[in-house]
Amino acid sequence: MKGATQSRLPLYAFVVFTCVMCVFPAEAHLNSTGMGPFYDGLIHFLMSPEDIVPVLALALLAGLRGARYGRRALFTLPVAWLLGGLAGLSAMTAKPHPFIAAAWFLLLGGLLAADAKVSLRVTTALAALLGLYHGYLNGIGMGQFDTAAVALLGLVFAVFILIALAAAFVVRLRTHWARIAVRVAGSWIAASGLLMLGWAVRTR
Amino acid sequence: MRLPIVLKLPDDVKNLREPSVQELADSFLERRWIDAGPNGLAGKRIEFPGLQGTITDVLVRVEMLDGRSWTTIVHPSQPWVEITAAQTRLEVMGTFIVQGIRHILFGADHMLFVLGLLLIVKDRWMLLKTITAFTVAHSITLAIATLGYAEAPVLPLNAAIALSILFLGPEIVRSWRGETSFTIRHPWVVAFAFGLLHGFGFASALTSAGLPKAELPVALLSFNVGVEIGQLSFVALILSLERAFRILEVHWPRWAEALPGYTVGSLGAFWTVQRLAIMFGGAR
Repeated sequence: MKGATQSRLPLYAFVVFTCVMCVFPAEAHLNSTGMGPFYDGLIHFLMSPEDIVPVLALALLAGLRGARYGRRALFTLPVAWLLGGLAGLSAMTAKPHPFIAAAWFLLLGGLLAADAKVSLRVTTALAALLGLYHGYLNGIGMGQFDTAAVALLGLVFAVFILIALAAAFVVRLRTHWARIAVRVAGSWIAASGLLMLGWAVRTR
Repeated sequence: MRLPIVLKLPDDVKNLREPSVQELADSFLERRWIDAGPNGLAGKRIEFPGLQGTITDVLVRVEMLDGRSWTTIVHPSQPWVEITAAQTRLEVMGTFIVQGIRHILFGADHMLFVLGLLLIVKDRWMLLKTITAFTVAHSITLAIATLGYAEAPVLPLNAAIALSILFLGPEIVRSWRGETSFTIRHPWVVAFAFGLLHGFGFASALTSAGLPKAELPVALLSFNVGVEIGQLSFVALILSLERAFRILEVHWPRWAEALPGYTVGSLGAFWTVQRLAIMFGGAR
């Protein structure tokens, strides 16, 4: 079976290569603005605190629970984000609700601060919901661009990298104080959520 | 071919004589002698309408009558620049360091080549040798090209850079299959040889046109430092990811393990064919 898979790889690579040749222009040097939609998506995620903070909180939470949880979040969240984003690309309008954004901060920050013993199923569900919701909002925001799907891939790639690095970092933590420091970060995230909630209520 | 970019100076600025324009091999140089009025240019904006629709950068250099000078790079994402009262040498260095980082991080071909090298090296010592060899080699040609001692035509150069990536593809697959070759045993030699090519590529992003000779060494050094920062950050990211996967005990299926090698090879082939087509079919 392994041999068969191995022998088909050059064929798959050739098919992908042929498809790519037909579709995209060469844009290897993206050193100016044109960094390409992939980079645009990647940087959009890194520059959006409302996206990056809940992902970080989930990664830290999963990391506190162990490698298995980290692994589950690593694959669930980006896939859900991609699916949500693809759905969002075809949607016409929707507005991010400030209460929901604050709720994610509060929920994930609170769970992290409390070092909640969430089950693997709950972690998976949280990752899926977070990915679908934020992916959907991102997809709507990108809908006006032709290259939005590629930008979405860049964004999902950034999500994947952040979860891998953050979750693995926490899994490796052995000392008690280091794990407490991670929980303190959770309390800050929850506090930010409270501030966002207060702001949303005030400006309503 | 001139790009549809226009230089727009503040409204109260008067031209003292006819602008001088010069079309170079890979750039367009425009010089203006202006009277900015009693308040000078400080706090005013120089705009470049049309730049936002391109993928090129503009090097802006302002020389005052009192000998002060001001240099920056304008990108399409913000096609204007605001002149500050004074600019220190550190600020000039900062501009070129950022340009170097941008060039390596947003230059998919350079990153893909470094990724290819990382996929071949077996241990830390070999990694150190390989990355050092690449750094030394591209620094040599970057300096040679920027100081004007040698020049590489852009189209064949881009094709050759793409070829260097294509070259690594089969080597990565060979290494993944447990086979060996000269490249797998001595990746630093390949890194050095192709690093010379990539250095010429970096030089094309370091706009030296319009820079006075006195400022070239600072620009060159800062740009190279930026390239190194970007390159080392990328290497650190890949190594951290690899470690993260081990910590999280991710067991990739065989096809996924081979994917980076085939991606490097396929993109290398794609760019080689496309750049050769551009080269022989005339510049697009």
